[in-house]
Amino acid sequence: MFKVVKKIDKGVELFTTWLLVASVLSMLFLSSFSIVARWFHYNVTWIDPFVRHVVFLSAFLGGVIATGQGTHIGIDIIGKFVESKGWHAVKNLITKCIFIASMAVLVWLFKASVDFTRVEMEFSKIEFWGIPSGYLVMLIPIGLTLLFLRFFLVFLLSFEEKIEVNKESAV
Amino acid sequence: MSGSLAAAGIILLAVLGTPLFIIMSLAALVAFTFSGVEVSAVAQEFYRISSAPTLMTIPLFTFAGYLMAESKSPQRLLKLAETGLGWLPGGISIVALVVCAFFTAFTGASGVTIIALGGLIYPILMKDGYSEKYSLGMVTASGSLGLLFPPSLPIILYGLVAKVDIDKLFKAGLVPGLVIMIILSAWAVYNSPKGETNKFKKFSMGAFLQALREAWLEALLPVAVLVGIYGGFVTVTEAAAFTALYVFVIEVFIYKDLSLTKDVPKVIVDSMSLVGGILLILCCALGFTNFLVDEDVPLKIFALMKEFLHDKYSFLLFLNIFLLIVGCLMDIFSAIVVVVPLIIPIANDFGVDPIHLAMIFLANLEIGYLTPPVGINLFISSFRFNRPITELYRASVPFLILLIIALAIITYFPILSLFWFQ
Repeated sequence: MFKVVKKIDKGVELFTTWLLVASVLSMLFLSSFSIVARWFHYNVTWIDPFVRHVVFLSAFLGGVIATGQGTHIGIDIIGKFVESKGWHAVKNLITKCIFIASMAVLVWLFKASVDFTRVEMEFSKIEFWGIPSGYLVMLIPIGLTLLFLRFFLVFLLSFEEKIEVNKESAV
Repeated sequence: MSGSLAAAGIILLAVLGTPLFIIMSLAALVAFTFSGVEVSAVAQEFYRISSAPTLMTIPLFTFAGYLMAESKSPQRLLKLAETGLGWLPGGISIVALVVCAFFTAFTGASGVTIIALGGLIYPILMKDGYSEKYSLGMVTASGSLGLLFPPSLPIILYGLVAKVDIDKLFKAGLVPGLVIMIILSAWAVYNSPKGETNKFKKFSMGAFLQALREAWLEALLPVAVLVGIYGGFVTVTEAAAFTALYVFVIEVFIYKDLSLTKDVPKVIVDSMSLVGGILLILCCALGFTNFLVDEDVPLKIFALMKEFLHDKYSFLLFLNIFLLIVGCLMDIFSAIVVVVPLIIPIANDFGVDPIHLAMIFLANLEIGYLTPPVGINLFISSFRFNRPITELYRASVPFLILLIIALAIITYFPILSLFWFQ
């Protein structure tokens, strides 16, 4: 079972990585091009809102990567204390509680974002390329879904580590 | 009662180490639910960030900094600074301070400076005869040096959160940043090796020009950013785009230090995981902090504080103590997003200029990187140099004291930050 989970996790990581690479390179080249174009009095109006939405998407994608790497910014006073004392079982339990709480909050946020998308769909305004803002707002539920998926996969994989540790100690 | 329970639960989750963006979202969702506001407002606040015009400066400057850190730029710049300043007493240590400040300004004090430069600087300091304690302390402290110099990520984030002009913040940080550099340089001179090893190196024009030829494309960068922005040639956003493109081109196509297909994707992933983490916190915190401001929480705190603090100076003292504690417990990005919206109205009522407040805030948090028990630089150094954390605590104490002296100067001489605008 863990093999499948690992494969899916790897797939999510790969998809996120390449989407992130495309996002960063597009924001890099488009924003530079837009500035140069302006010097020649040629204004490409869609670039600015497009790049801002790419940055917005990158926030979620970067978050997905940070979830996989376990590098999210947090206060973590008790976690660090427990770790320094070498209480691995307690640390494990805390990590699992954090995953469950994070997934629950992401579900609640997802609901809030779907509600907001519905409202935005009704009162949309055109942002660029004729795309109504309602569709762009969908980046939020999509980003949250990706985040939830990564949290869930990493949560499942955290059980594998424990099984491996138990096997090693039995040996 | 249920409100207090919810607050206690959220605080417990926070101190357990739950990602801060989850904590801020939960706080906003709970607060909006209790006050009868539709929770979709949280998502609305989320989306608001996408309309910030300076938003793209965060990923672009960070990407540029990470590209340089991953290339051979640290070696080239270190060589340039060494040939230029190495002949001074304490010169090698001053070189280390200058180069670290340069890198931190571009990488946003994310620990990259210690990882990328620490391994180069530490053996050089030891070889030059500096004590191990000094060398460790210096490398650890320099990991957050340069936070007040443009285009540092915390300054941009502060400007976004506090709605203060980022151009002005960049300018205001120059002199306070220099004050910190001068104080630490004086300490470097004082600690320069005595006796046999204390022979002054001769300045060699040939070596300096050779190093300059190798590193001029990178050494030009901070000057170009400053001249570009303050010469009125480019805006901060444009400077970010050009800096990132420029660094990308020189490191990949001119120096050829990085491979387009192997290294660049890795740099993008590394830098964007930091940026993603920060932007998510920013998105999620907007809802909660706006809720607190709407509920007049800062005003209530101000009224309470007025009973104990009667003037601006006592407030500044209190603020410094408070921020030093915050710096011990939170990293700089979380602190900016969570604390800044609350203290701005209070500081304003006490007559503290918002730009001066920014400098005090950032200088405090710079010290927080070094403050036990959870100063992140201490952990990174401990990991990087394979030393027990307690050794790092001891090595960092003199630097902590010096930085607190610099902080007092920055706090009580607002002119250092504000003279540009008078």
